[in-house]
Amino acid sequence: MAMSRSFVLGQHYPGVSVIHRAGALAKLTATIILMVAVFVATRTPQYLPLALVLGAGILLSGIPLRFFVRGLKPIVFLIVLTVVVQMFFTPGTTLWSWWFLRITREGVVLALFILCRLVLLTLTSVLLTASTSPIELTDAIADFLKPLSRVGIPSAEIALVMSIAMRFVPTILEETERIVRAQVSRGAKIGEGSLVARMKGFIPILIPLFVSSFRRADDLAVAMEARGFRVGSERTRYHERHFGSIDVCVLVASGIALAGVMLWRLFL
Amino acid sequence: MPIELKNVDYVYDSGEPFEYFALRGINVRIDEGSFVGIVGRTGSGKSTLVEHLNGLLFSSHGEVLVDGLTLSRDRKVLSSVRRKVGIVFQYPEDQFFAETIFEEIAFGCRNYGFSKEQIDTSVQKAMTIVGLDPGRFLSLSPFQLSGGEQRRVAIASVIAMGQKYIVLDEPTAGLDSGSKLTVLGELESLRQSSNVTVILVSHNMDEVAEFCERVIVLDEGSVAFQGSTEEFFRSADLVNRTGLELPQSYRLARALKDSGCTLPVDESSSDRFLDSLHSWLADSGVR
Repeated sequence: MAMSRSFVLGQHYPGVSVIHRAGALAKLTATIILMVAVFVATRTPQYLPLALVLGAGILLSGIPLRFFVRGLKPIVFLIVLTVVVQMFFTPGTTLWSWWFLRITREGVVLALFILCRLVLLTLTSVLLTASTSPIELTDAIADFLKPLSRVGIPSAEIALVMSIAMRFVPTILEETERIVRAQVSRGAKIGEGSLVARMKGFIPILIPLFVSSFRRADDLAVAMEARGFRVGSERTRYHERHFGSIDVCVLVASGIALAGVMLWRLFL
Repeated sequence: MPIELKNVDYVYDSGEPFEYFALRGINVRIDEGSFVGIVGRTGSGKSTLVEHLNGLLFSSHGEVLVDGLTLSRDRKVLSSVRRKVGIVFQYPEDQFFAETIFEEIAFGCRNYGFSKEQIDTSVQKAMTIVGLDPGRFLSLSPFQLSGGEQRRVAIASVIAMGQKYIVLDEPTAGLDSGSKLTVLGELESLRQSSNVTVILVSHNMDEVAEFCERVIVLDEGSVAFQGSTEEFFRSADLVNRTGLELPQSYRLARALKDSGCTLPVDESSSDRFLDSLHSWLADSGVR
């Protein structure tokens, strides 16, 4: 229990802000619009309208800034690498040189641009996943995939598989804890000894976990069928979401960001 | 030497806004060789308490002593305590992983470094105690057994380690009534033959009345009663207040008394109730 209490699934940061209350479909669409805007821009200053809209979203969400900083951590290496490569290997007027290394004016400009691009992309997706629960998100993805079912792709089933997988992550974590406790009580030494011993130590945990997961899957299938689930039939949702004024605002804001970037690119 | 808990608190998320006391000021003593019940409604802290007994959880305050040794995170202390206290968790068959029943039961013995001969004899002995014929079952897969047989294998896998204290968290949940009685009867005879201390967590008050000499009653993380089982069930108010039910025999004896019938029955368990009724009938010449 200790583990599951402290475990936060994915990147979700629960809250009640305007951004949290906005519909997942609207937020997903807005995210895509913002990402398009990120790629439409050709020079750093054009990011200003985008950064303002995104910044407003981040502030409104009430999610602490350190959460976003944490979201940037996984791509720090990528950012540093691209920035360095751009700085040193872009031809142009030399600003500084030493032995074979050369930093150009054009390089610095381009590096700054790439830096902004990567940071904005990441922050946009962090804002989406932080303010939207995984379940809402899979529902939204299902809505997005819906047109694909016309061409024979089972979009509803794909979405169902995704949401079931999400649903069972905490359950399986709890189950793992339960099994670990039982095996430790039988004297199992987990994570001790040589590499081989450690690997062997996982067998008494993994096998029961597999067995129980299969049984769970089986039970779930029976329970779903008993409640009338059929593959390929039209289904309704428990949380029916209607397009609200917040959703419109979110979409308009992202539209403004995109339009701003485009106008700036054309006229400035 | 007993197991003792002194002023034990267990707090989830200590210091956080959602701080929650799962156990509060627990003072408990479990004597060697006794058959003790731990009862209480769901969420009263039974499982949390049990996990303190072999160092799966550590008290936030207070101390746990097993045979005079204070439990700590020290690896030596932990392994010596776990060597003494075995736990059979709820639905223990969920922990099966081995290919044969022999391997399943031998797992704990191997972990504690038993020799090959010791493993063989311990496994056979444990199987006999839980009423599984070693000749027939040793090489079967634990997954192909019936529910009752699986439960016995799981219990045997703990018994085989030969620990002094055996804690069972609802060992009879999901078993048919016949298997329930035999499983508990086997534990009782193990206690008598090897002086093993049996600690039974149960929701079934009939079981508790039948087998436990003493009970520890938990209510909202505190000890509401600790003492003889009979004494507890005789105080019907306390039983109600702690969200528990009276065993059948006590209810029947009470109903008899309320209707003005003064039979000299022993209500302390269903079996003893029937026995006393039988002998009274025999004495008064009814056949």
